[in-house]
Amino acid sequence: MASRLLQTLKTTSPTCRLLSHLSTATAAVAAKESYEDADGISMKGVKISGRPLYLDVQATSPVDPRVLDAMLPYYLSSFGNPHSRTHLYGWESELAVEKARAQVAALINASPKEIVFTSGATESNNISVKGVMHFYKDKKRHVITTQTEHKCVLDSCRHLQQEGFEVTYLPVGSDGIVDIDQIRSAIRPDTGLVSVMAVNNEIGVIQPIEEIGKMCKELGVPFHTDAAQALGKIPIDVEKMNVSLMSLSGHKIYGPKGVGALYMRRRPRIRVEPQMNGGGQERGIRSGTVPTPLVVGMGAACELAMKEMEYDDERITALQKRLLNGINAKLDGVVVNGSRERRYAGNLNLSFAYVEGESLLMGLKEVAVSSGSACTSASLEPSYVLRALGVDEDMAHTSIRFGIGRFTTDAEIDRAVELTVQQVEKLREMSPLYEMVKEGIDIKSIQWAQH
Amino acid sequence: MASTPSKSQILSLFRSLLRTARDFSDYNIREYTKRRTIDGFRHNRHVSDPSSIAAAYSDAESQLQIARRQVIVYSLYVPKLKSVMEIKHA
Repeated sequence: MASRLLQTLKTTSPTCRLLSHLSTATAAVAAKESYEDADGISMKGVKISGRPLYLDVQATSPVDPRVLDAMLPYYLSSFGNPHSRTHLYGWESELAVEKARAQVAALINASPKEIVFTSGATESNNISVKGVMHFYKDKKRHVITTQTEHKCVLDSCRHLQQEGFEVTYLPVGSDGIVDIDQIRSAIRPDTGLVSVMAVNNEIGVIQPIEEIGKMCKELGVPFHTDAAQALGKIPIDVEKMNVSLMSLSGHKIYGPKGVGALYMRRRPRIRVEPQMNGGGQERGIRSGTVPTPLVVGMGAACELAMKEMEYDDERITALQKRLLNGINAKLDGVVVNGSRERRYAGNLNLSFAYVEGESLLMGLKEVAVSSGSACTSASLEPSYVLRALGVDEDMAHTSIRFGIGRFTTDAEIDRAVELTVQQVEKLREMSPLYEMVKEGIDIKSIQWAQH
Repeated sequence: MASTPSKSQILSLFRSLLRTARDFSDYNIREYTKRRTIDGFRHNRHVSDPSSIAAAYSDAESQLQIARRQVIVYSLYVPKLKSVMEIKHA
């Protein structure tokens, strides 16, 4: 009410504008509230005319209508608890959960008995890292992981370090790929786990999972991979990859948020200490009522992903090419972060030289993209992943991650190219650094005066 | 068992899917459904084996039912603002 009043005050006569100047306190409060009217929406001080086009698929993906269709009955009449053994509601719910389990297993060539449903990939990562090490804590005290892992893996490792375990954080090359020989030389007799993510969420590089898996099998070390970004996008086969544990996420493959799964190998058996104690559901690994609608959604999403993987991949590769060519045709000083060859097509992380990242993002309000990953964007530091790649601080600050997905259209890519080029050119025009570069001065040789 | 669908039945199903796709209120879902229908039918253009044709036809029929239901669900929750892609670009 108050904000609407203030809004009409602001847009009417000059005398009213005077009034609004007097009540600066209320104006400040009203500016923070978001309002929506016929020709736009204002939120957090930004006014946009329409819903932005979505190019942030790595943060989350829209729920596919076919997935929603599979889920809805379980929010309506079939609302039973799958662990209720005595009536139809429980039986039909349990049937749905087991069907979903088989769908998830089929996508990764596993047995349904090896799938445990969790609340998401973060929980699966926690169970894998902490659960495995706690179970084998008498004999195994060492974990190997990389510097570009997801925050939940790195934080779990830090927690283990506080408990007295040792962790080796392996560096990655400038292309983002980890060196297998470095893993091999880091493995010790008391190494309990090697954890390397399959597809990186920030830069999209694909790690050599098959080679690492083969080596870990030879050396008898359990291998965990976080496949949240890889599931349904690149072919995954737990037998070929020789993984012992794999974390899967529902909302990255056009499924619902709040559900994920953990693959746990049965032959040879890997054991974990449960992180959620309770009634012993999910074979004691993860107690708690299995959320039937969410699990059904994840299963449907996995089945869809299996059918659509080839079609989606072809389209997304073509769209990525279109995006990159479009930007490179009009701009110079554009760097692709991460390996060009070993990358998932739907993730394009670009750095624009001589442009500041936050201002670029604020100018791109009609495009929903991100810089750095959603989990770490609260801080002002440049992304730790880009730092691990050895990217210069100034280039790391200007990185933008374009995410292309199943529902992205050609027109959206063209529009994104247009808006990005426009914004970068505008910012570069204002940049004195860019002027100097154009005159031929080498930025790195400048002696900046201290104030 | 249902007999192999005729050419006119297949075309009619194709048109129904495209008509249903048009009714989606969400820009991305609408474009995807149109595109996927066209690409899907085009991909199966040369299928000659009758049981494969019947299987593809019944699959498309169930997709049509799903699409019809979801058009209704999406129309119940239309956001106030349209996508920038649907607003005339100045």
